[in-house]
Amino acid sequence: MSKISLIIRREYFSRVKKKSFIIMTFLTPVIFAFFYGMIFYFSYKEIKDSYDRIVVVNENKKLTEPLPSDKNISYTYSSKSLAALKKEINGKDFDYILYLPDFDIEQPEGVQLLGSKQAGLSLNNRVADDLEAQIRNYKLKQSGITQQQLDNLKSSVSIDVKKLGEAGSEEDSSAGASTVIAFVAGVLMFMFIMLYGVQVMRGVIEEKTNRIIEVMISSVKPFQLMMGKIIGIALVGLTQFLLWIILTLSISTVAVGLFVDKDEAKKMAQTEIRPPGQMSGQEVVKQGPMQNIQKSLANLEVGKILAVFVFFFLGGYLFYSSLYAAIGSAVDSETETQQFMMPVMMPLLFGYALSLSVVTNDPYGQVAFWLSMIPFTSPIAMVVRMPYGVPVWELALSMGILVLGFIGTVWFAARVYRVGILMYGKKASFREMVRWFGYRN
Amino acid sequence: MLSVQNIVKQYAEHRALDDVSLEVERGKIFGLLGPNGAGKTSLIRVITQITAPDSGQVLLNGERLNANHISKIGYLPEERGLYKKMQIGEQVLYLSKLKGLSTAEATRRIRFWFEKLDMGSWWDKKVEDLSKGMQQKVQFVATVMHSPELIILDEPFSGFDPVNAELIKNEILELNAQGTTFIFSTHRMESVEELCDNIALINKSRKILDGPVDEIRDRYRNNTYTLSYAGDLDPLAGQGIFELLESTVTKTGTELKIKLAAGCSTNDVLAILLPRVSVQSLQEVIPSMNEIFIKNVTQTDL
Repeated sequence: MSKISLIIRREYFSRVKKKSFIIMTFLTPVIFAFFYGMIFYFSYKEIKDSYDRIVVVNENKKLTEPLPSDKNISYTYSSKSLAALKKEINGKDFDYILYLPDFDIEQPEGVQLLGSKQAGLSLNNRVADDLEAQIRNYKLKQSGITQQQLDNLKSSVSIDVKKLGEAGSEEDSSAGASTVIAFVAGVLMFMFIMLYGVQVMRGVIEEKTNRIIEVMISSVKPFQLMMGKIIGIALVGLTQFLLWIILTLSISTVAVGLFVDKDEAKKMAQTEIRPPGQMSGQEVVKQGPMQNIQKSLANLEVGKILAVFVFFFLGGYLFYSSLYAAIGSAVDSETETQQFMMPVMMPLLFGYALSLSVVTNDPYGQVAFWLSMIPFTSPIAMVVRMPYGVPVWELALSMGILVLGFIGTVWFAARVYRVGILMYGKKASFREMVRWFGYRN
Repeated sequence: MLSVQNIVKQYAEHRALDDVSLEVERGKIFGLLGPNGAGKTSLIRVITQITAPDSGQVLLNGERLNANHISKIGYLPEERGLYKKMQIGEQVLYLSKLKGLSTAEATRRIRFWFEKLDMGSWWDKKVEDLSKGMQQKVQFVATVMHSPELIILDEPFSGFDPVNAELIKNEILELNAQGTTFIFSTHRMESVEELCDNIALINKSRKILDGPVDEIRDRYRNNTYTLSYAGDLDPLAGQGIFELLESTVTKTGTELKIKLAAGCSTNDVLAILLPRVSVQSLQEVIPSMNEIFIKNVTQTDL
């Protein structure tokens, strides 16, 4: 036991002390935090600054109702001609001209939004939405609904819409956060397993090509050496993961604090949505774009997701890294690993691709279920499913299968490894490895 | 001290060791000789518990080999290396701790050995900064660090320059004088001939010869002598007493290689020669281990 811990310590410290590890570990969160901060900063600036004054030139005889103005947009109707207004566009009175020609109401064409700068996508959508609402109202009136009915209908419709929108946007933002977390978790898991699995393989090959293996093996059992390496590198992975989380959180907190002072952030959170009557005050305050995600993060039981992530990282890593160790033991140099890497990587890649497409689309479907059960793909599939919520029994079953799976691969790898590490100059193949597996001690 | 009994080791279609038995006495230097691929390394791997034999057993001090014996054996493999990126001191420390030494004890001994072998300033160096000869010194130190009772050296002198080889040889003799038992494995007889007390010759997975070096040589003596003299000698003079094998004329006289007839002694030869020529030397030809080795190996190969 103490020998294993010696090996673990060496494997751990020799990696953690490496410059590349330190740089990777500290630079990545800085980059993450930088982007996070940038996104926050710009979305905040965007919302705060967004106020567009639009002059409407209405030649349309049917759309007579004025377009509604609010805090981010103002519509003023002008009797001047389009040509005259075009000349004034560089003035300070308005930003855009909205030109409504006398189009056929069934085919609204020829609407133009003119400005000295090009209108952004969000403004474009906003104006289009407003127009569509107006056309819809007009059509409803055409079909014989009186203004009063429409008003009645409108108020009821608008309440409905708002309610739906409220609930919908709640769900949307939560689903959005889930998807983001699922993606991040899936990508991280894939990266971690690949990165650290390959490190195990490299380590084994290094010992073989350096010819230290036989010296080692005369002091320790091959199994101890293999497990020491695998565990040591797993700890490196966990250290990196932990540092990333801590660093990302602290740096981004500091960054947000630097870029945005709190009062303004609060104000911005309130201006961003138009609070309808039914909404509780508490929700109003929380509705900033970032607060939104942070709030749904809280709803998502981050602790549980993290714990599951760590469990599946360790399980998946053990599962794959022992296979990598077996490959490393069978070859003499890294160039020879190609033919073995493919078959080992395929299921992981397959799981990765499917998890980020099929599983995120339908986290409760058949494909998602099976992917999260088979130990080759379950580490990725399960962490992708987690944010959407997974029944406890499925989680437990998947964990159980994964544990059995890695016990199996570790057992297999250990038997191949003990023979492989002492073989030099032999062209290894899968058949050979299976034969080694069958060797007596 | 070490008793190898009827070891059989089978790899798939290849039998690496076929019923091999040996006895290594305490405090002796034992040579394990044989051509490449004879099974030397397989045998050593069994002794060092890297692999287990299919049948047979190995006893160390009368006990069957077990995990406790790992710290009593030092092994310098033929394929030897070090972690390239690790510092020398760290590395030897790590290897000795794996053999069961405490950090303090290991550090003390490393300092002692580094001082002794002129490696005092190497502690912080990395392996990649050392020459091959220097690396071998480090490996040797790592092998003997934990004061094993039995040290097994596989092709110990390959790769050493003559100076370092001499240095290491002296260390080996010193350790041996203190009671450490050695096993040398090599296919280059001349390198160990002068060191070994006993040898075993392995060829094609079988032991074909073993015993004390002197005895074996004795066994392969065949009454052959070299004789040099000045003067003329009738070629037929020695008839019945020796047979002439070779004759060469040198600057100072003639050199003959002769084989004595059964029952004759060197005195009989001298009795004939003394009245006729002036004898410069008469010396028995003792076969070198190399010759014995080649003779045996080619015999078993036939």
